Amino acid sequence: MGEDLDEKRSKTLTAPAWATGADGLPAVSREELLRYGRHLILPEVGLRGQRRLKASSVLVVGAGGLGSPLALYLAAAGVGRIGIVDFDRVDESNLQRQVLYGVSSLGRTKLEAAEARLADLNPHVQVEVHAARLTSANALDLLRRYDVVADGTDNFPTRYLVNDACVLLGKPNVYGSIFRFEGQASVFDTRRGPCYRCLYPQPPPPGLVPSCAEGGVLGVLPGVIGLIQGVEILKLLLDLGETLIGRLLLFDALAMRFREVRLDKDPACPICGEQPTIHELIDYEAFCGLTPASAAADAEAFEIEPRELAAALERGEGRLIDVREPHEYEIAHIEGARLIPLGRLTERLGELDSSEEIVLHCHTGERSMRALKLLRQSGFRKLKNLRGGIDAWSREVDPEVPRY
Amino acid sequence: MKVFVPTPLRSYTGQQACVEAQGATVGELLADLNRRYPGMRFRMIDEQDTVRPHIRIFVNAEQVRDLGAPLGPADEVQILQALSGG
Repeated sequence: MGEDLDEKRSKTLTAPAWATGADGLPAVSREELLRYGRHLILPEVGLRGQRRLKASSVLVVGAGGLGSPLALYLAAAGVGRIGIVDFDRVDESNLQRQVLYGVSSLGRTKLEAAEARLADLNPHVQVEVHAARLTSANALDLLRRYDVVADGTDNFPTRYLVNDACVLLGKPNVYGSIFRFEGQASVFDTRRGPCYRCLYPQPPPPGLVPSCAEGGVLGVLPGVIGLIQGVEILKLLLDLGETLIGRLLLFDALAMRFREVRLDKDPACPICGEQPTIHELIDYEAFCGLTPASAAADAEAFEIEPRELAAALERGEGRLIDVREPHEYEIAHIEGARLIPLGRLTERLGELDSSEEIVLHCHTGERSMRALKLLRQSGFRKLKNLRGGIDAWSREVDPEVPRY
Repeated sequence: MKVFVPTPLRSYTGQQACVEAQGATVGELLADLNRRYPGMRFRMIDEQDTVRPHIRIFVNAEQVRDLGAPLGPADEVQILQALSGG
């Protein structure tokens, strides 16, 4: 027993700090030395930097287009503890850009699939999965446990929530967002620069900007932006180079052009300004004008179920208007629907008869709801919106109509 | 001068990302844009003549909040809109 202890002690004395962690940084194994060799020979990273990465933690909010490449590269780089928050399941339409998942992940929760993939990629990092929607009730407790937060969400309420929680906790928020062929990235850290609210005090009114589900996104784009977030995270953790604090990077994939604008702290910012009025997390759905109860009830009042519509069309009732784009109509359409793209609806109002019941539809129901509001404002009263759009029609009424 | 247009506003510019417009101030430039692309100004500026809170205007990479801010012919204007996709 005594001999054992002596032997241990002498090993500790002679073994280098990287193998024992005696200097306070985590120990690394010989396998890890081999794995991270290309980092270790970079003087800017080196063994010390690699061990700092191992001691670091990052929370990835959203395991979608941005979160997928980001989580993969953070794990590969050896960030010691990676948290992921998500509540979704993998479906076919994710695989065009969400490179964490494959055919074998279909139907599984994203977290289950991500955990397995990241464990295979690098067993030396710890992956913590949080199967939840990030809310004002859980955000502070969750974010508090990580050094850096990455915003890879797909909606405005969660973006403002992530921002505010980071400001209140004094954590850097590594930001990225995408739409079609355009991306934006920055680092918001109010200890050294502005926050997301300094840039955009309020989101656009709901329904004004289509989501990626309705508007589309080039599959590679979240790869580019997610990995810009990845680079910034590693630089923050290693205290290297010049980060995007105080700068917004704009990427246009079609022009293949990066542009940059300067961001200043807004002295009147309600959360990080001189006289802040926000001291705790708020109701972000309400802030973004999405007052869930009333908006949902309002929308529901105009909805028609796919089966109901099928029955009505059978009886020869109702005029079906498809407000999608011609290239979507070409992929799939409902027999008898007339195509009037949302953008041309105002100029083609004359084609509609306000005495008829008009049923509007699009891909998933978002755009047709906007079309419905537009027609209401123009005096139309007999209006319905197909719930879930042509996607729900295919699932519930006619499987011959291809889904996309 | 060159004006860079964010994706959500390109429905007004025939999907062009970069357009030409003129004006001695930001306000004049927006008026000129609206002549060329009817309806575009209202998407950026509200009834009180202030820049909408989800739209930002930058001249040579610096943010301008005042529509009276002067512009020169060699300036580059970047219009930004908040995006939520991820």
